[in-house]
Amino acid sequence: MYRNSLNRRNFLQQTGLWAAAAAAGGLPTLANAAREKELNIYCWEGYNSDDVLDPFRREFDAKVRAEGLTSDPDAVNRLRAGETAVWDLINVNNPWAREMMYPEGLIRPLPRERFEPMFENMMPAFHPPYPWAMDKSGEELLGMTQRFGPFNFVVNTDKISKATAEDEGFNVFLDSGMQGKYGVLTYDNWNIYHMCVTAGVHPFKAHTPEEIEAFTVACKQIFNGAKILTDDLVQMNLALINGEIDAYFTGGTYTASSARYDGATQVRGITPKSGPMDGKGGIVWIELTSVVNNPEVSPLAEEFLAYIQRPDISKLVAFAEGTYNPVSQMGDPAVMGQFDADELDAIQWDSLEEEMANSADYDINPDYAEMYEIYSAAKREREA
Amino acid sequence: MSGRPAASERAAPTGVRRWWRRPGPLCAFPVSLFLLAGFAGPLVIVLAYSFMPPRTFSLRQAPTLENFASVISDSYYLSFFWSLFLATTAVLILFLVCYPIAYGMAKLFGRWANLVTALVALPLLISENIRLFGWVLVLLKNGILDGTLQQLFGVSVSGLLYTVPAIVLGLVYVYLPFMLFPLVIGISMVPESLKEAAADLGASRFEIFREVELPLSMPGIMIGGILSFILALGSLAESKILGGQTVIMIADDIESAFTFAQNWPKGSVLSVLLIALSGLIVVMLFRNIDLDRIIGRR
Repeated sequence: MYRNSLNRRNFLQQTGLWAAAAAAGGLPTLANAAREKELNIYCWEGYNSDDVLDPFRREFDAKVRAEGLTSDPDAVNRLRAGETAVWDLINVNNPWAREMMYPEGLIRPLPRERFEPMFENMMPAFHPPYPWAMDKSGEELLGMTQRFGPFNFVVNTDKISKATAEDEGFNVFLDSGMQGKYGVLTYDNWNIYHMCVTAGVHPFKAHTPEEIEAFTVACKQIFNGAKILTDDLVQMNLALINGEIDAYFTGGTYTASSARYDGATQVRGITPKSGPMDGKGGIVWIELTSVVNNPEVSPLAEEFLAYIQRPDISKLVAFAEGTYNPVSQMGDPAVMGQFDADELDAIQWDSLEEEMANSADYDINPDYAEMYEIYSAAKREREA
Repeated sequence: MSGRPAASERAAPTGVRRWWRRPGPLCAFPVSLFLLAGFAGPLVIVLAYSFMPPRTFSLRQAPTLENFASVISDSYYLSFFWSLFLATTAVLILFLVCYPIAYGMAKLFGRWANLVTALVALPLLISENIRLFGWVLVLLKNGILDGTLQQLFGVSVSGLLYTVPAIVLGLVYVYLPFMLFPLVIGISMVPESLKEAAADLGASRFEIFREVELPLSMPGIMIGGILSFILALGSLAESKILGGQTVIMIADDIESAFTFAQNWPKGSVLSVLLIALSGLIVVMLFRNIDLDRIIGRR
C-alpha cells in the first residue's frame, strides 16, 4: 500500500532529482510537446490585434502571444540577443530577412511547395519568385509578404497641393518659406534614405565623398529647418491637422492613413514623381513575415502564415488598429471585394499604382554606418 | 598571527572558509547571487561591450578604445550638457515647488496629509507617456490652453510646445513624487523643540528656517534631489514628447546607438559614461549625508 511519506528530507531529494532531470534535458521534451498549441509572434502593430488573432486562437485552440515592435533594427537586435528561443514568427521590412536575418541564422526557410503558390494570387509585382522573399541564392523562400506602402513624406494638402509636392519632391523642405513649418518623424533609418534623395543621391548604392558631403549638407538643412522632431506618428499627424506644421519629413500611407480614415483627408502621403534612384524619387517598403530559427519552433508558425493569406484575414491585417495599409493580397478579387470606398481612400488606393511606379524598393544602404554618424551629429547639433 | 582567539571570537566562526556557517552570509547568499546575476551581470556586459570594436554584436573581439575616442571627439558633449542642465534645472524647480507642500504634509495638514499623499502618488499608476501626451493636448497650438485663452481673452499662447521649458515642465511634473516624499521625511525629522528653543532665543521665522529647519531636513533634501536628478538625467520621454527633440538628451543618443545605429559598443560607451557620471555625483553628494542617522540606527 502506498504511504505518503513526504518529509523535508525527501522533498529536497525529489526536488534535486527533478532539477537533475531538467538539466539532463527531460523538461525540454515536455516544453516541446506543450508548444503544439502555442505561438509567439513579434511583429509590427496589426498582426498583434485581437481581431486578427482571436479567430486563429479559436480555430487552432492555440495560446497566441504577440508583441508589437517599434523598429526593425530593434527587433533584429532582440533576436541577436537570444530571443530566437522565444519567438516563432518575426515580421519586419523587406531587406532584413535576405540581407541580415537569414545569413545570421536568425530565421529559417519555408517549404516552397506549400507557400510559393500563394504568391500567384497577389498583385502582379509580388508574383513568384519574389526577390525580397528569397535568399540571395534564390533557392530558399524566407517569408511571406503582405502589407506594403510608399513611404516618403506627408503634407497637409490644404497648405501644399498634391501636384506641387509631387513635382518638387523633397525640395519642398529646402524652400526658405518652409523654415519652422515642418516636422521630422525620427524613423532614423528612413530619414537617412530620404535625406540622400533630398541631396540628389541614390541611397542604396555605394557613395563617393562628394555624395557624402551633399548628404551632410541636406541633413543639416533638414534638421535646422524643422519645428518638431518626434518618433510618434499620431503626434505628428495631430501637429499637421492643428496647423502647427504644414508637412512632415518621412511618412507615407503607413503614417497618414489613420488620420485620413478619421476624416482628415487633407493629410496625404506624397511620392515624388522623380528622383535620383534611376529616375525614381520615392521608396516603398514591403513587410516580410518569417519563421524564427527557434530550436523549439511551434508547428503553428506555418499555419499562421497560411491563415493570414485568407481574404477576410488579409483585410483584417490591412485595417487592424493603429495604421492602415494596402496588402499584396489585393491582387485577388476576393480580397479587393472586402474594402469599401472610405477604406480605399484612406490607403490612397487612387494613386497607389502611380506611387509604386515612381518608387524604388527599400534596401540596404552600404554607407549606412558612416551616414548615421553624420545624421546623429546633425540632429544633436541642430540650431533650435 | 598567533595566540588563542578570545571567547567572543570563538563563538562565531570566522574566516572565508567558514562563512557558510554564519547565518548572515548564508541567508544573504541567494539574494547576493540574484543581485550579482541580475544587477551586476548586465552592467558588466555593457562595460565589456564598450571595449568591443564598433558595430559588433559579439564579445569575442579584441578589446579597443576606439569607441571612447569616437564619443569624446564627436559632439556627444552637447547631449551630456543638455541632460545635466535640464536635470539640474528640474531639481531646483522641484525643490522650490515641493518644499512648501512637504512642509504642509509634515507639519500642518494633519490627517489631510494622507489625501495629499494619495493625490500625488495616484498619477504614478498611469503610464508616463500617457500623462505626457495629456500635456501635449494642453499645450498644443489650438489645444486646451491656447484654445481656451483665445476663446475667453483673444490671447494666443501657441508656442509653448516643443520648447526647452516644455521639457522642464515634463521633468518637474513626472519626477515630483520622487522629490516630495523624501522631503516630507526630511522635514518630519526636525524636532519641534529645537524650533521652539530657537524662537525663545530670539530667532526670527526666517532665521529658524535657515539655521534649524533647512540644515536638519537636509538628508531628505539630498535624497530627493539625488533621486530626481538621476531619474531626470536618464530621462527620454519628456524631450521626445513635449520637447519635440528640440534638444537631444543623452538617453536618446544611447537608444539610437543600440537601435537605428546598430552600434552596441558605442551605445555601451555612452551608457558607461552616463553611469559613471551619475555614480560620481551620487558618491560626492552622499559624502555629506549619513544614511544610518536617517533610518534611525544612530
